[in-house]
Amino acid sequence: MTTAEAPRRTWWTRYTSQSPSLLTFFALVLGFLIGAIVIIATTPAVLDAWRHIFHSPTAIFSALKITWDNVSAAYRSLFVGSIGDPRSFVHSFTTGKGWDTTMTPISETLTYATPLVIASVGVGIAFQTGLFNIGANGQAILGGIVGVWAGSMLHMTSVIHLPLTLVAGVLGGIVGGLIPGILKAYAGAHEVIVTLMLNYIIAFFLLYVVLSTALQQPGQSNDISRTIDHSAILQPLFGTSSGLRVSYGIFVAAAVVIFAWWFLNRSTLGFDFRVTGANPFAARASGINPKAVIILVFVISGGLAGLAGEVQMASTNHYIDGGFLIGNAGIGFTAITVALLGRNRPGGIVWGSLLFAALGVGGRTMQAMTGIPLDLATVIQSIVVLFVATPVLVKEIFHLRTQAQGVQLATKGWGQ
Amino acid sequence: MKNTRRLAMVLGASSLVLGTVTIGVGAVTATAATKFKACVVTDTGGINDHSFNASAWKGLQDAKKKDPKISISYLSSTSSSDYAPNIKTFEGESCNIIITVGFLMDAATAAAAEADPTQKFAIVDDNPLSEAKKSHELEALQYQTNQAAFLGGFLDAAESKTGVVATYGGENFSSVTMYESGFVAGVRYYDMANKAKVKVLGFTPGKGTCTLVSCPGTGTFVGNFTDQTAGRQDTASFIAEGADIVFPVAGSVGLGSVAAVQQAGKGKYVTWVDSNGCVSDAQDCKYFNATVAKGVEPSVANAVESAYAGTFKGGSYIGTLKNNGTQLDINSVAVSAKLRASLASLTRGIESGKISVNPNSYPATPS
Repeated sequence: MTTAEAPRRTWWTRYTSQSPSLLTFFALVLGFLIGAIVIIATTPAVLDAWRHIFHSPTAIFSALKITWDNVSAAYRSLFVGSIGDPRSFVHSFTTGKGWDTTMTPISETLTYATPLVIASVGVGIAFQTGLFNIGANGQAILGGIVGVWAGSMLHMTSVIHLPLTLVAGVLGGIVGGLIPGILKAYAGAHEVIVTLMLNYIIAFFLLYVVLSTALQQPGQSNDISRTIDHSAILQPLFGTSSGLRVSYGIFVAAAVVIFAWWFLNRSTLGFDFRVTGANPFAARASGINPKAVIILVFVISGGLAGLAGEVQMASTNHYIDGGFLIGNAGIGFTAITVALLGRNRPGGIVWGSLLFAALGVGGRTMQAMTGIPLDLATVIQSIVVLFVATPVLVKEIFHLRTQAQGVQLATKGWGQ
Repeated sequence: MKNTRRLAMVLGASSLVLGTVTIGVGAVTATAATKFKACVVTDTGGINDHSFNASAWKGLQDAKKKDPKISISYLSSTSSSDYAPNIKTFEGESCNIIITVGFLMDAATAAAAEADPTQKFAIVDDNPLSEAKKSHELEALQYQTNQAAFLGGFLDAAESKTGVVATYGGENFSSVTMYESGFVAGVRYYDMANKAKVKVLGFTPGKGTCTLVSCPGTGTFVGNFTDQTAGRQDTASFIAEGADIVFPVAGSVGLGSVAAVQQAGKGKYVTWVDSNGCVSDAQDCKYFNATVAKGVEPSVANAVESAYAGTFKGGSYIGTLKNNGTQLDINSVAVSAKLRASLASLTRGIESGKISVNPNSYPATPS
């Protein structure tokens, strides 16, 4: 298609700072490079090897070898843990056996990515409207709470129960989104402050809920909720016996991505949203009701975050506890960076989520195989986001060609 | 010139990527096949929590020290949804034995053992055996801590100058109240044997016997295992009510007790819990008169070594005074020969079952 409309657009002319995928790709390269430096600087065996070169200059070769061995072992295990071991692929392909084990890494990556995609799409829609929803994590927790309530307290057949629980999760998230939405629209409260602070309130509300007699697992005194009914569980795609955790939740995520694409690019409301994000004054002048847009954005964004929390709960643990999505497990916070990485577009977000999921899941195998802490995966994730957020830096490092319009930022500053 | 430089950058970057891909696709170097791998999945506390996660990891390190052919690794859980995938990762790494820590990991461990009955598992402080009937390679490590706590109660009652001692817990779990129940039994036994009237604040045992499954009782509970300020306040009020030795069963909350004792001045002590206070918290050693220890390290090390030697059996392991699964460590206060002798004879009595560690076997001290 490109050749038809513009024959001059060769591969070489595409090598510019205008290409988001190219920028992300280079950010990834830089992330792995700096990750390698961190590995070298924190692995005692490598440091020892380099210390020896002061005694004998020829030791430099063995030092280089040890460095290469350690760094490559780390990245190899990252790959094996998130995508799979090529040898077991070959084994499964030739013998037809052991697919369960071979597919486990991909299944884990998809399991991790599923709720992340949903939450990130929610955050991305708000970003596109120029609104910062920093409260996606709290909204996801609310979705999980209401989802657990509907999943464990109501009893019915799966055909009704499962969709009902998903809707319950959406409703929970909408409640969490409506509060900052209304405050922003009618009281002018800054949505960053309100959503950020609501995260704390909701985290303690979660603790209250899982310790209350209504939702607490009977017979236990710690902070754990009831387990949802079998009929409300998002079942594993390949059955429980396969051990693969990837669930029907990925269809929910796919539906969300398609909905978001249609909504932003094809619907009138989505057009209103994007116009408001691009220029709120022009939007008002052209008759778009800003208050309605703000509230609707938070309803959709919060609803999706709530759905993410419910999918997370219904596809992995089937219960929530006091640590549900708290701290490092907070997908709502990861969603903000993933939305940024995917430039707030549904398609980009899918890739961003898969990348983050792969790094997170592969980091586990890396720690198990090489002893390098899985925090290294977080370091790489952070560096990638850092460079994606500063395209000028990447442009300079890799001598990318600039085009006349300059570099477009993925997000604008605070507020308007 | 500029184009050449740009070309060099492209080549550099793409070769880097190619290199990474080759690493991934290239042959994976086999880790020495003869090696024995022991792996631990910790709870969210991680391996530096100064409590049982740290002890379990220490147990693996001890086993490795004994036999360098054993290689060890750990994975920390960021949340409860990590338990199952962490265990799975270690199964994929062909760990010969996987240790899990704490009763929160009960369901995940049971499910994993049920799905793979030949994989060796050991779980600390929990018993999922009834849920994983298929597996014969699952060992439940539990500790009859009321036996050592009985000795601790007896010692504290003998050492108390004010005639008041106190205990409090993190949360009302049977693994916590078991310590407290034994402690109260020890004090009551001391009172009965010496016609003394030493009082215990902070815990009242409930009716019935104290077992690993349920150990009823009421009293002071902080509500978590992290709030040191609450531990400090509770201890200060115990001291105000006349207590001079306090036994906190609340993990790091107990450090608040140390602070309170330090502030209260001379002659006030803390009886530490779980692992020897003069090792795990060496700078506060002088405030610890004793430690009621839970033998997580030796029992984990033992599970690993027996799996390595091929003698691993699975089933239930109960740590008692007899097998050093729980013990009383004397710390900073000089103990007279006479008291040592009576502690030794009590130990023999508990081991043989002649002396009950159930507080309801002895009259409650009239207040």
